[in-house]
Amino acid sequence: MSSTTGSLPTTAPILFEDYLALGIYVGIALFLVAILLLLSWGLGHRTRSRIKNEPYESGVYPTDNARLKGPVPFYLVAIFFILFDIEVIFVASWAVAYDRLGWAGFGQVSFFTLVLLVGLLHLWKTGALDWGPSAARQNRKNQDIP
Amino acid sequence: MIGVYHYMTVAAILFAMGTYGVLTRRNAIVIFMCIELMLNSVNLTFIALSRHLHSMDGQIFVFFVMTVAAAEAAVGLALMITFFRNRESIDVDQINMLKW
Amino acid sequence: MEILFFYLVAFVTLVSGLLVIRCQSPVNSALALVNTFFCLAVFYVMLHAPFMAAIQIMVYAGAIMVLILFVIMLLNLGTESRQRYTRGVVWSSIASLLMLIVATVTIKTGQVTGAEGEITAHTVKSVGHTELIGRTMFTEFLLPFEIASILLLVAIVGAVVLAKKEV
Repeated sequence: MSSTTGSLPTTAPILFEDYLALGIYVGIALFLVAILLLLSWGLGHRTRSRIKNEPYESGVYPTDNARLKGPVPFYLVAIFFILFDIEVIFVASWAVAYDRLGWAGFGQVSFFTLVLLVGLLHLWKTGALDWGPSAARQNRKNQDIP
Repeated sequence: MIGVYHYMTVAAILFAMGTYGVLTRRNAIVIFMCIELMLNSVNLTFIALSRHLHSMDGQIFVFFVMTVAAAEAAVGLALMITFFRNRESIDVDQINMLKW
Repeated sequence: MEILFFYLVAFVTLVSGLLVIRCQSPVNSALALVNTFFCLAVFYVMLHAPFMAAIQIMVYAGAIMVLILFVIMLLNLGTESRQRYTRGVVWSSIASLLMLIVATVTIKTGQVTGAEGEITAHTVKSVGHTELIGRTMFTEFLLPFEIASILLLVAIVGAVVLAKKEV
């Protein structure tokens, strides 16, 4: 069963027509971005002076570093986005072939989804999805009582 | 004609680059990105070989590699945040204690 | 024509890979890594695996890179560290060079063997790549699939335990 030729035996080469729509889409997107950038560069009014380049023109002088640290809850949301994104690709591969997989496939994908639902419930219960100062104050109040 | 060896050579070079980055860089996030580079070169090998052998198995493996990479990203970056809170830096040369 | 395109994409891939390991700022490394991911997605399309290309962009270039960039912004990592490299640059280059030589020699002289399936490019075209993936995943790879859900659950819990504290 070994094949030593080293070339991929692709009897059907990549057809240009298959990806034509994608190519047109990418082309239009690039064109749109380029035209917007060029228009704003060409038509815009430019002034360069020290006062114009200040972050807040005729406002207060900025004192600290311009980059602020973001709060951690945003980061948690990004993490959950990744994990549920992975769930989406698994479920999508099931959903395309669902008629061939039948009820067995449905049961299997339900188990998968249920396990991740347990994760979501855990997030909800531990307050990882809570947001803002009100949630923090609520937690502190709960800790003060006992 | 593009052979499977072409793809595997590209993957090998990418993997060696990733190794070099992991061994030399000090910033933990850059090291993490180099690990992602190595994982991706392995993915390329998997898909090229599964195409070569007319089989689907290699591509399923890529699915699981991606799952593990996502889990690793979530936990690893959370570890980096925790480390940064304690040390105000994510230089790997400073990660020299198990506990403090 | 196709081989020219391959060499072009391979060149861009390797140059962006080099940028990932050489850039001063982590943000630049991350953007070079996104470029590498896109080039690999192009390779997957050339290998008749369009669904793989789609999830490569969705998961890697979409989700994981967002998280990495997010952490760079969150920790406010600039180019402040003057020492980019650890001490063992020489030994590391020798090690990775040796690894490269071993891998390329093995690839050049080795033969690809293995159990061949019967999924040709024609099958992929007529049935559809996503459906083939789904069928294989839910028949032969059922147990790893269910274990993957447990892995994701553990990752969720671990990330919350590590990151959720008062800042």
